[in-house]
Amino acid sequence: MATVHNEIDNWLAADLHGDLSDAERSALHAHLLDCAACRKAHQETKTMNKILEETLAQEKADAAFEQRMLARFRNRVPERSGLLKLLAVPTRFRPLQIAAVAALLLGLVQVGRMITGENVARPRVPERYADLQVASPLPPPASQPIESGALSKSDQLVSGLSQDVALRKPPSPASPPGIRAEFAEERAATKMAPASPENLVRVDEVAAKPAETPASDVANRKLIRNATVQLEIGSFDDAVQKITAFANEERGYIATTSSEKQANGKLRGEVIVKVLPENLDRFLQKIHGLGELKNQTLGTDDVTKAYFDTDARLKNARVMEQRLIDMLKTKTGKVSDLLQVEKELGRVREEIERMQGQLKYWDSQVQFATVTISLTEKDMEEPAAFLLKERSQLALYAPDVEKIYNDIKALTSLKVQITNAQLNRDYSGRVSATMSVLIAPEESESVISRVKDFGRVENFQTQTERIAQGGSPAVAGENAKTKRDKVELSVTISREEQEQAFQQTSLRILTSSVDEKAKELRAVAEKQGGRVRNSTFNRDPDGHAFANVSLRVPMKNYPGLMKSLNTLGKVENVSVQRQDRTGTQIDEANAPADISIQIYSQGNIVSHEGGLFATLRRTLAQSAEAIMWSLRMIGVAVAFLAPWVVALIAIVWATKRVIRARRSKP
Amino acid sequence: MDASEREQYQAAIHGDREAFEMIIRTHSRTLFAIAYGVLRNREEAEDAVQDSLVKAWKTRWRVRDPEKFPAWLATIARHRAHDIFRKRRTASLEEVIEPSLVTQTDDSDLDQKLHSALAGLPELHRAALTLRYFEEMDYRSIENTLGLTNGALRGILGRALATMRKQLRPALASMD
Repeated sequence: MATVHNEIDNWLAADLHGDLSDAERSALHAHLLDCAACRKAHQETKTMNKILEETLAQEKADAAFEQRMLARFRNRVPERSGLLKLLAVPTRFRPLQIAAVAALLLGLVQVGRMITGENVARPRVPERYADLQVASPLPPPASQPIESGALSKSDQLVSGLSQDVALRKPPSPASPPGIRAEFAEERAATKMAPASPENLVRVDEVAAKPAETPASDVANRKLIRNATVQLEIGSFDDAVQKITAFANEERGYIATTSSEKQANGKLRGEVIVKVLPENLDRFLQKIHGLGELKNQTLGTDDVTKAYFDTDARLKNARVMEQRLIDMLKTKTGKVSDLLQVEKELGRVREEIERMQGQLKYWDSQVQFATVTISLTEKDMEEPAAFLLKERSQLALYAPDVEKIYNDIKALTSLKVQITNAQLNRDYSGRVSATMSVLIAPEESESVISRVKDFGRVENFQTQTERIAQGGSPAVAGENAKTKRDKVELSVTISREEQEQAFQQTSLRILTSSVDEKAKELRAVAEKQGGRVRNSTFNRDPDGHAFANVSLRVPMKNYPGLMKSLNTLGKVENVSVQRQDRTGTQIDEANAPADISIQIYSQGNIVSHEGGLFATLRRTLAQSAEAIMWSLRMIGVAVAFLAPWVVALIAIVWATKRVIRARRSKP
Repeated sequence: MDASEREQYQAAIHGDREAFEMIIRTHSRTLFAIAYGVLRNREEAEDAVQDSLVKAWKTRWRVRDPEKFPAWLATIARHRAHDIFRKRRTASLEEVIEPSLVTQTDDSDLDQKLHSALAGLPELHRAALTLRYFEEMDYRSIENTLGLTNGALRGILGRALATMRKQLRPALASMD
């Protein structure tokens, strides 16, 4: 019973306060029988409990305490007025809170859109579609003559049912398939349901309508119909004859014909036909049989409003005219007034004539539909002839540019024309020339070979182009002739030094006396026909000496020079680079080869960047660099985040202030 | 805590005034006991309860879990009582001490000793004692009110009683 004894105070208190279970109580009493000290403590605690009960019970709150608290609370926190309470009650519900927050966010989004100028509210697609349809309830019926027969052939149908039809049409190809399916079903239902009398009537009507617009509908509508057709036909004359026949059949006439003969003997032309509007569709059908249809457009221009406006204005003008005439007849008033009236009469009459002309024009346009037929014969694109154009390019390298420049100029004759000649000298005094020459075809080969002899030829290229005349080059014209045009030759002349080396060699020679050997090297090079382009000599503080020499020799002397280099010392690190210039013709024997030679004294050239310390130093430098880089990146990140952190802290601070202010209020 | 009680706390948190007034009816006595434990002065304890009720009404939205509502109320009351206690000490030391001197002479020796022993107890112990002896609350209710476990409460009440009886031992001996 160690636990009971150790925690006797807790057990005793719990016993007196009735918090012990039966098992616990019996365990406690068993222990009390055994332990005298605990028995004493038990006795004392019981007394203590009794004293506390007696004393503290007197001090507890009186009976009216709750009522008092409640009254004072009501006094200090008055109930809200009716409206505020009404507002406060719904804010308790979570769904309402969420809805309010969502509404607020949406409102903010809308405000944002308004500020940024985005489209605030787009109408939904189906609605827009319906609007469009309803907005134009009277589309010119003739404008869709080929459209699948049933819908919109007569005004009654269009005005009466267009809304219905428009709404039943699928809203747009992009609408979800579910909706489309639904629409399709609905449409099918309307088509399939013969039970409703209205449907029956509609079907009958549609069936009864001929392809043309009924005359009753067009009677007071002024519609100008026109069509353009592009056809490819076998023979132009045949086609024009047939078109004339068709036009007569349809009670029309040929207004204009024009034709044009191409270089290859084919004909191209245009026929403008006037036919009665109601016969237009049939006429077009017939025309299609003439040849291959390339393009067709049909258009209707509704001039009803303009026509009747002009008509009304014309009537007014006539009334005006009559009144002016009456004024003249009475002949009262001053002469100047009469003159004024006369002038006005002239103006009104002019206007009347203009309007009459306009009306007549419209009448004629409305009376007949205009069909513009463009006709082209087959194989229009076959070329009449071919021109063979040759272009040659040539690069010359020579020691004296000016001499060659003048030599080429001297070639000028009747058959050789110089179209462009330029002699350039750049800031470093190097001279180069560019020339363009036009040569008659029969002379071209001899002239080009003479030019080639002037210097070392590099990069000779010839391009030949076949140009089709009067047609497309893609079409092979069997009958077309081929003619040679003048040859265009462009020459660039440069000094030899400027030429890029055909082969580049670099090597090192190890020797004891650098200076002496460098001199010897120059002598060897001169002997082999080479030139020293560049030569440097260096001696560093440690006494290491090295000389760099670059040479240029013709390719034919290259092996000889390389051989004689061996006499100078130990040849090392030989690397050879050759640039094969594809597609060019090169005079290999005379092409220049560059050799750069480094002569150095023994053991002199030791890399400072070797060994343990150098590696260590490099590594440290690199890591320092890496650390600097990451510091920079951290800086960038901090710069990015700092404003947000500041804003966040400000918000939290402000919120805390508000809360504290509320709390400190009594 | 049964469902209806929970619902009542929830409603009070959401601003149902009737529910809150009901809580005032059922809990203000407990709060008074706690405040009295700290202040040992009726008027001041009443003021403390009043203040804490108003404050609880104003900051009710801060309670997330309705289960913890009674414990939260008790904490407010305790803090408020402490505030008042501190103000009293700093404001006028003598003014308060004097009546206590007067009561010393009037009251019996045991009563005075009992109060000074009570004053020496830690505040939480005093709160537990007052809840037990003012309102005769059972352990479960006290645990709920003060946010304690059964083991902790037993320890607190056991130690409180033991401290008291050890301090009052001579007086108790004379009583026997």
